[in-house]
Amino acid sequence: MNFKKILKIFSGAFAGLLIMAINSANAFTACQVTDVGGVDDKSFNQTAWKGVQDAVAKHGVESKLLESKAETDYEPHLNSMVSAGCDIIVAVGFMMGEATKNAAEAYPDTKFTIIDFAYAETLANVKGQVSATDQAAFLAGYLSAGVSKTGMVGTFGGINIPPVTAFMDGFAWGVKHYNKVKGTNVQVLGWDPDARDGLFTNNFDSLDDGRAFAQNLYDEGADIVLPVAGPVGLGSASLAAELGSDKLKIIGVDADMTMTDPTRKEVYLTSILKHMDVTTLSVIEEVKSGNFSGGVIVGTLENNGVGLAPYHSLANVVSSELAAEVEELRKGIISGSIVMNK
Amino acid sequence: MNTLNKNEIENTKSKRSKIIGLSLIFFGFVIYLFFGLGIEGQATFRLSRPTDPFALPNLILPAHSFIGLSALLIAFFGGRIIMKAPKNFTIFVALSFFLAIAAFLVWATAGKSFSLTGMLQATVVRAVPIALAAMAGIMCERVAVINIGIEGMLLAGAFAGALFGSIFGNLIGLVLAILVGGGFGFILAALVVTFRVDQIIAGVAINIFVLGITSFLTSHLLKSNPELNDAPIFKSIDIPFFSEIPVLGSVFFKHNIFVYFSIFIVIVSTYYLFKTAYGLRARAVGEHPKAAETLGISVIRTRFNHVIIGGMIAGFGGAWFTLGSVGRFDEGMTGGRGFIGLAAMIFGRWHPIGALFAALVFGFADSLQQKLAILRTPIPSEFLAMAPYLVTIIVVAGIVGNAKPPQAIGKAYVKEN
Repeated sequence: MNFKKILKIFSGAFAGLLIMAINSANAFTACQVTDVGGVDDKSFNQTAWKGVQDAVAKHGVESKLLESKAETDYEPHLNSMVSAGCDIIVAVGFMMGEATKNAAEAYPDTKFTIIDFAYAETLANVKGQVSATDQAAFLAGYLSAGVSKTGMVGTFGGINIPPVTAFMDGFAWGVKHYNKVKGTNVQVLGWDPDARDGLFTNNFDSLDDGRAFAQNLYDEGADIVLPVAGPVGLGSASLAAELGSDKLKIIGVDADMTMTDPTRKEVYLTSILKHMDVTTLSVIEEVKSGNFSGGVIVGTLENNGVGLAPYHSLANVVSSELAAEVEELRKGIISGSIVMNK
Repeated sequence: MNTLNKNEIENTKSKRSKIIGLSLIFFGFVIYLFFGLGIEGQATFRLSRPTDPFALPNLILPAHSFIGLSALLIAFFGGRIIMKAPKNFTIFVALSFFLAIAAFLVWATAGKSFSLTGMLQATVVRAVPIALAAMAGIMCERVAVINIGIEGMLLAGAFAGALFGSIFGNLIGLVLAILVGGGFGFILAALVVTFRVDQIIAGVAINIFVLGITSFLTSHLLKSNPELNDAPIFKSIDIPFFSEIPVLGSVFFKHNIFVYFSIFIVIVSTYYLFKTAYGLRARAVGEHPKAAETLGISVIRTRFNHVIIGGMIAGFGGAWFTLGSVGRFDEGMTGGRGFIGLAAMIFGRWHPIGALFAALVFGFADSLQQKLAILRTPIPSEFLAMAPYLVTIIVVAGIVGNAKPPQAIGKAYVKEN
């Protein structure tokens, strides 16, 4: 046994002790890396962060946050969270899919969870959180078709990616279902679920685009608009507030916009809810109790992972029959008696 | 020798008109081939909204014959240019472009309908921040200071507008946004005029600094105090009588003060730069500062003044994003409009009216792509979204070509004692 070998063993043991010391000194830490929308986007970044904060309040864990300013921030932010010794890293958004996969493969001992992404092959240390938003959007589409006076409703998205278009799909199918049931011809502008193309701002941060796109849909006759572009939708809401909710109504996405954007609450007909705070919290709890496994957790109407917000200030334009029909529809989707894409 | 040169010039001229004429004929042929063949139905353009005081009948164009006619006319223009070799054929080229766009629109709309008035109104609205950014650029570059920092100044104006507008109301918010813009103009002037920092680097530094500081303040101030990020918006003001004119009334006279002020700024700065002694002096500083200095014009002071005014215009343009559009600030919400404004400035050959038209071209491309996405043309939406940028590139690279910036641009001035 030469000197070098002894040194190696000692230094190895020392490093091990050091890591153990750090680990035991650190409390359980849940960390979040946001998408470019920022943590106050009144949308999915904020909802996921609420899940982390719920864990802080409920289990006394610690939390860390890094906000991405550009797509190039994803990997460095994830890496710095890894080196900060996080127990679970919450990556927000479909756009971070690639970066999270890379980080998870590079650091197999760190646990990740990613919002809005399900990997084709299961990674043992990543839990994807996806939502069957089309189910809730289907209800919103049916509701809008019933409320619209012009017989036209509109939607636009941020980028043509599955978590965005799931909303638009469900919305368009819901309108189609209404037409089938009622024999009407309500039209959807801005998305064609068969051609898989439509109206997109191609960004998630230019609020002015939200206003311009909603104006455009309004000019074409739509009196209800569903913006699926994070904070960009707030621009649409400000147009609706200026025009008046009798002329243009907005459907919120991800969070109940009546609560998150209270100054313009009168323009929101309803919101398509994604309860990622619920799924995020349950993933954190899984890690904490040691039951974490890689894979996917899906939020549905059934497990309350997605849903429709109350009608709040515009409840008066939703007739009681229509509200009852939407409730029936919800049960129908849960039981499987209603197939959405038909 | 002299006559030979003349002949050579004549030859190249007729050669050029032949090339342009032939390409127009080819262009007309291509338009008919791609858009005209096998198309049926009518294109319906709605001219009035249901809410307008006078409902205009819709403009209905039979697709096939309209496209055929446009293609024929373009080819005819081409033939005319070859035959007559006129001195100035820009008008024919411009008309051909207009016809080509009209033919394209009719092709996209065949069998459907859309609101033409709405599209034109959106064109004006979307052009506003770009035109203002371009005006800011012109003010600086006419005195030979390159302002790459316009994007940052817009962002600073937007932030100041949202913050101060929420506290003091939109009018004071607007004034403070203009002052903040002017402040950044002063910083830029101090850096590049006094300390002779490289102008590009100084501008980039301003962009990065503003992006950082506004993001920081957003996450540390606005996030925890949402009432500080809820500014009242300037409502649109209908100009009496003019706003009642069908189509034109909606397009030009039903806007908020930002649109009217932009047009005002364009007119005033045109008059100032080209009709007043002060404007002449400013341009002299931009073209030949040493000569200007020998005539008793203070180059340093002139540059300072104009860069500060440019910053104030950019601050005003930035306030449009928050006080004129959505009433709240979000990080990076100006979305590169400052850079597009710089392109508009070059396209407009450093002339306010030219820049305004350039901004309108961009605004048109932008609202056109939205309409096309709603109409569901076979062109993918990602490609359509490129249209405004594509137009900018084509215009800057192709049409502007040899536009000349002020002679002394980018050069620091050292006063000789």
